[in-house]
Amino acid sequence: MLDALVGGLLLILQWKAFSLMLVGMGVGFVVGLLPGIGGAATLALMLPFVFTMSPVEAFAFLLGMHSVAATTGDITSILFGVPGEGLSAATVVDGHPMAKRGEAGRALGAALASSLVGALIGAATLAISIPIVRPLVLTFGSPELFMVTMMGIACITSLSGLGARAQVKGFAMGFLGLLLSTIGQERQSGTLRFDFGQTYLWEGLDLIPVLVGIFAVPEIIDLAVRGTAIAGDRAAGKLGAGVWEGVKDTFRHFWLVIRCSAVGVFVGILPGAGGGVAQWMAYAHAVQSAKDATDRARFGKGDVRGVLGPGAANNSKEGGDLIPTIAFGVPGSGAMAILLGAFMIMGLLPGPDMLTKHLTVTYSMVWTLVLANVITVLLCLALLKHLAKVTQIRGGLIIPLILFLVFVGSYTANRQIADLVVTLAAGGLGYLMVRFGWPRAPLVLGFVLGKLAETYLFISVARYGYDWLTRPLVLLLMALTAVVIAYPFIQERRRGGLARRAHAD
Amino acid sequence: MRISGRAVFSLVLAAVAAFAVVSALAWPLKAALFPLVMGIPLCLLALAQLVLDLRGAGRGAAGGPPMDLEPSAGVPPEIARRRTLAVFGWMAGFILLVLFVGFPAAVPLFVFAYLRFQSAAGWGLALVLTAAAWGFFYVLFERVLRFPFEAGLVQTWLGL
Repeated sequence: MLDALVGGLLLILQWKAFSLMLVGMGVGFVVGLLPGIGGAATLALMLPFVFTMSPVEAFAFLLGMHSVAATTGDITSILFGVPGEGLSAATVVDGHPMAKRGEAGRALGAALASSLVGALIGAATLAISIPIVRPLVLTFGSPELFMVTMMGIACITSLSGLGARAQVKGFAMGFLGLLLSTIGQERQSGTLRFDFGQTYLWEGLDLIPVLVGIFAVPEIIDLAVRGTAIAGDRAAGKLGAGVWEGVKDTFRHFWLVIRCSAVGVFVGILPGAGGGVAQWMAYAHAVQSAKDATDRARFGKGDVRGVLGPGAANNSKEGGDLIPTIAFGVPGSGAMAILLGAFMIMGLLPGPDMLTKHLTVTYSMVWTLVLANVITVLLCLALLKHLAKVTQIRGGLIIPLILFLVFVGSYTANRQIADLVVTLAAGGLGYLMVRFGWPRAPLVLGFVLGKLAETYLFISVARYGYDWLTRPLVLLLMALTAVVIAYPFIQERRRGGLARRAHAD
Repeated sequence: MRISGRAVFSLVLAAVAAFAVVSALAWPLKAALFPLVMGIPLCLLALAQLVLDLRGAGRGAAGGPPMDLEPSAGVPPEIARRRTLAVFGWMAGFILLVLFVGFPAAVPLFVFAYLRFQSAAGWGLALVLTAAAWGFFYVLFERVLRFPFEAGLVQTWLGL
């Protein structure tokens, strides 16, 4: 195994594979920065280029591109409040308020450093777990996977705000997200739901236009209303000054970064749940790990922990994603499904062969993840001071540039004008939600998880009847879900009790 | 009695949920189950929020602040409303432009028009930024990614 590990490194360091990895990283770097255009879409567009490459070169090119897009997507999210791609939306919630406060450098430093830690943990998990992961994945059937999505939805509670009334809004938005995910043709019976006679809606709403609209449009409007630069009138010198502070934050909250990386790996391993889910679950975990209600209130206002959690999970899930893809040929996400296409093009069969005959190729993928992320983060850290200055440019000059990128990004979803209309409508909804104090994150999480939850529920009922409810792992996950829902209330009560006791003393 | 925007939003949300539930009742159980399970609690929660909004109107009905973007304060409401509507207008205009002339032509036209007429940028700056935006768009989407953009209605009518 050690031979294969070293062999994988040597393969990736060959000049052609290494050069192709750098080319892929260059494309991924730019694509990651663009609002809405995700690594998966770029993987699909770049797939035809790999026909003439060897397997190691092809995976260096594709994986280099994909892993970098997740990292640079955070930069757009933080600087402009516009998700660089679907995987970076959670970073907006705390990263952009930091940029508006003049702490863009610190937020970027934290996002990049946590991304690197997450990527290394993901790669290490991939390297270690390849031989032992089989029993774990096989333990999770549809009932368990359904309960995992329910647990993700329960995390909505912690994403909503403080107090019971905020929880009402959080749950309502979560349900609205789940309801929006039901638009389109129902897969089992073929029934058309909420299509209003529009063929565009038969496939359901695409994530990208919805996500970009809900997050980008309110931020753009806020920028236009203020009539200033993103960072207001803050001095130029301060903006990039906190880069190292952000890097240090990663190590100040190292245990949180490790836990969120583990969340990312775990979600990555689960088939169907992509990075979009991983980052929100990590964000929810970061919020729930706050000491008390006062501490929790800092989230959403520019708390660096809200940047560290999603940043780490975003990149660690790459390693997790690759585990079922390589070991069983079961893609963990849309991007991995496209990567599976690359396996086919290369004539490789995912499964036992990748763990025996082609183990060196498998380890070359691990090394690609490591090298691509280390190089990107070092490059970004060198450029951050200049990037942070973008937040000082007059808003009026930036808005048209962001707007055209937002709409181009949305258009890449289905190449239809309707994508743009959905973006505008989602933007209108997002604006009203912000204006009337409804949280956007639960809606997005519900929307992301909706299709998965419905599919897993259907398979569970069809395969096991109602017996699926009594499976031990399902019961364990149910209990965990109940704890996730009840935890903020218990915390609130305990805090109230302590305050009363202190007052009585 | 004056009904606040918050209450109207809650009411619309409840109405959307009710519409979803009523629509789902007409479908086979397989297709209806999930929308019903999601729509009913959404309707109840939105109604609960509506009651809270109506009872608390005018005395801080929002409850705790959400963990989300908070609109910037300090801008007079009339100016904020005008600027908000302007952005929505520009976005709608951009979509119409894409529909009529397609993305490759709409991008430079939109960027230039916004910079010149909305942001009051000088001719030189507007032209330089427009050229930069179009160059970036052309190199990345047309040359590198070779992304297939649909032609606009005008090009289709003219047979271009």
